[in-house]
Amino acid sequence: MIVFGRRVRMEQRLTTPSSLLVVVPVLSVLFALVVGGVFLALTGHPPIGTYLDLLDNGYTSFYGITDTLGLATPLVCTGLSAAFAFRMNLYSIGQEGQMYLGMIGGTWAGIVLADALPTAIAVPVVLCCGALSGAAWVALPALLRARLGTSEIVSTLLLNYVALNLVNYFIFGSTGFFRDPTTSFPQGRTVSENARLSPLSFFTDKVTNTYPTFVIAVVLAVSLFWLMKVSNYGYETTVYADSPNTARYAGMNSTWLQSSVLLISGALAGVGGAMYVVGPAGKVDPGLLQIGLGYAGIVVAALARYNFVAVILAAVLFAGLRTGGNALQASSDPVPIAIAVVLQGAVLLFALGGELFRRNKVTIVRVKQAVA
Amino acid sequence: MKRRKVIAAAFAAAAMIVAAACGSDDAADEEVTEETEATEETMAPAEDYSMVKAAVVYIGVPGDAGWTYQHDQGIAYLEEQLGIEVTRLENIPEGAESVATFDKLARDGYNLIMGTSFGYMDPMLEVAAKYPDVCFQHASGYKTAENMGNYFGAMEEARYLSGIAAGAATTSGKLGYVAAFPIPEVLRGINAFTLGVRSVNPTATVQVAWTSTWFDPAKEKEAAQSLLATGADVIAQHQDTTAPGEAAKEAGAKWVGYNSDTKAGDFPDTWLTGPVWNWGPHYVKMAKDVAAGTCDATPYYGNMADGMITLGVYGSGVSQETQDLIAEKAAAIIDGSFLPFTGPIKDNEGNEQIASGASASLGDLLGQSYLVEGVIGSAKG
Repeated sequence: MIVFGRRVRMEQRLTTPSSLLVVVPVLSVLFALVVGGVFLALTGHPPIGTYLDLLDNGYTSFYGITDTLGLATPLVCTGLSAAFAFRMNLYSIGQEGQMYLGMIGGTWAGIVLADALPTAIAVPVVLCCGALSGAAWVALPALLRARLGTSEIVSTLLLNYVALNLVNYFIFGSTGFFRDPTTSFPQGRTVSENARLSPLSFFTDKVTNTYPTFVIAVVLAVSLFWLMKVSNYGYETTVYADSPNTARYAGMNSTWLQSSVLLISGALAGVGGAMYVVGPAGKVDPGLLQIGLGYAGIVVAALARYNFVAVILAAVLFAGLRTGGNALQASSDPVPIAIAVVLQGAVLLFALGGELFRRNKVTIVRVKQAVA
Repeated sequence: MKRRKVIAAAFAAAAMIVAAACGSDDAADEEVTEETEATEETMAPAEDYSMVKAAVVYIGVPGDAGWTYQHDQGIAYLEEQLGIEVTRLENIPEGAESVATFDKLARDGYNLIMGTSFGYMDPMLEVAAKYPDVCFQHASGYKTAENMGNYFGAMEEARYLSGIAAGAATTSGKLGYVAAFPIPEVLRGINAFTLGVRSVNPTATVQVAWTSTWFDPAKEKEAAQSLLATGADVIAQHQDTTAPGEAAKEAGAKWVGYNSDTKAGDFPDTWLTGPVWNWGPHYVKMAKDVAAGTCDATPYYGNMADGMITLGVYGSGVSQETQDLIAEKAAAIIDGSFLPFTGPIKDNEGNEQIASGASASLGDLLGQSYLVEGVIGSAKG
């Protein structure tokens, strides 16, 4: 590519200098802020003040960060789900649907099983049921992929729409099990109180919107990170991801590896949906359909470069942009939601775009002007 | 190489998020800056209402020229009448994100917080319990608390009247109705519309297409197109935008709008009329209550008699004769001598729902869960 008489070349890096791991993300975010700032200035909003407001409402104030962590909780799970599959070169984009199924399965357990159980057992049971439902939702794509090589991208994506309609059917289309029997208004039947966790509160009167499930999500991420580092299974999936042929030659079972990775990925997204049940929702809540936390999980995974611990940070970054962006509308100089979303988009696009520079070395060489 | 692919996929996902936002931005651009009728009486506010710190949370954007637009008109009326400024939050999804939003507004010292989507009800109830000194008001739900009221209205009255216009306008006897979700509010609207249609055109049928969304111009339009494809020549709707009207216009069919008639002029040949909300006076009342130190927590159900519900302007397709008939029925509804839901009314499965001579009580109406005879479609979506 020749730009302004200079040849710009990209070469893939063999190793990434560790300094770049910090420099690239920081520069990407700064770049995004500059671009977003131009946007803000053009629409008559002071960029610096708006950014400080965003920072305050999304991250640094007590309620800002706790609102953000609450929203980030299911997002950590869907992010882990995407990262887990993507590291194996399995591009399951079914997190959205698996999360809905986790919500449905978790609610089922919360209604049927939880009444007889103490909270300490009921909550894990609900989360497990959510995980199983999420895994079940990806079982068919996993089987098709492992046995017939069917593209998991298409099959998981299509199942998202089925899951979406399933939730709508349970709440709006039927008066069945998941529908609140006490009213003709369409809403979910609430789970047993035993299956609910109270939001975290500090200094007794400061009730936040963060639930203890956030801690569970963090523990999940860290243990996944550790397990995949030390376990035989982690090693096998890494080998398989690098070279399926090598893995097969070494006697690894590719059918097992592919299907198990997809099933675990589905289970992780399912847990996210179940966390929504034990946390804020307490029922099958079509409100979850409007947030798109499953698709956002894909972005989070990419931002985190499939590193399970980094998923936590990426999820918090993403969720903070959402809560902060919403709150900007209520600031003293209200910023329209559309501009807030453009800001979010800019940060995400640049953060992903920065990848290019981390992976590739860019060289710029002056070329002689060709005489026409 | 495969990694590249996924970066591309992630880019696409991020781009989709931005595109979605830009979509609603476009819609906002279309917003018409039309003056409300209220501007005629721009008196300086007699009292100081600056202690009312009000915020309203919308599911969509005022640019929808429908549900949110009409609420926004009401909010603008409130601002002008009381000389205060209201903070507006647009595009806030239901569920966890709305909890955080209501919570933040209450923390920031707003003392009147309004939400205009059904799904905000439980989030609002949850937050209201934490802030007993803040007045919460929810449109379209049914739950209340000591510091949380709700407000809605008998849209079925105006829907019935719009049905008369539609029933007189159809030549094929087939009408289409684009509807969001099979919930009592929507079923009631379809039923009232159908009763109106069949009062002048007893054999006409109304086919329903469900969209599972309140606000999605593309889906609303698609649903209208599918109805038009089955031969419908009038399209009615229970949706937030004017997209079904666009589909009808393209097919040369007539259109009965909803929420607002602000766009009627863009559909000179196809607009018939539409049932319209007038929220402003009730918003003023809510704010005045807060200024007086109270929070009206009783459910408010407005109607045509108190002006919360009106029928919009007529298009060229409504004859004078029909207009006179509608005016007569409207007067009867307003003075209480005519109730649209008066038996005998059968559902579309042949069961009697309202006996001959009986009328549905408000409670029955609010929980209505069937579709009347003449509607093609299922009350289960």
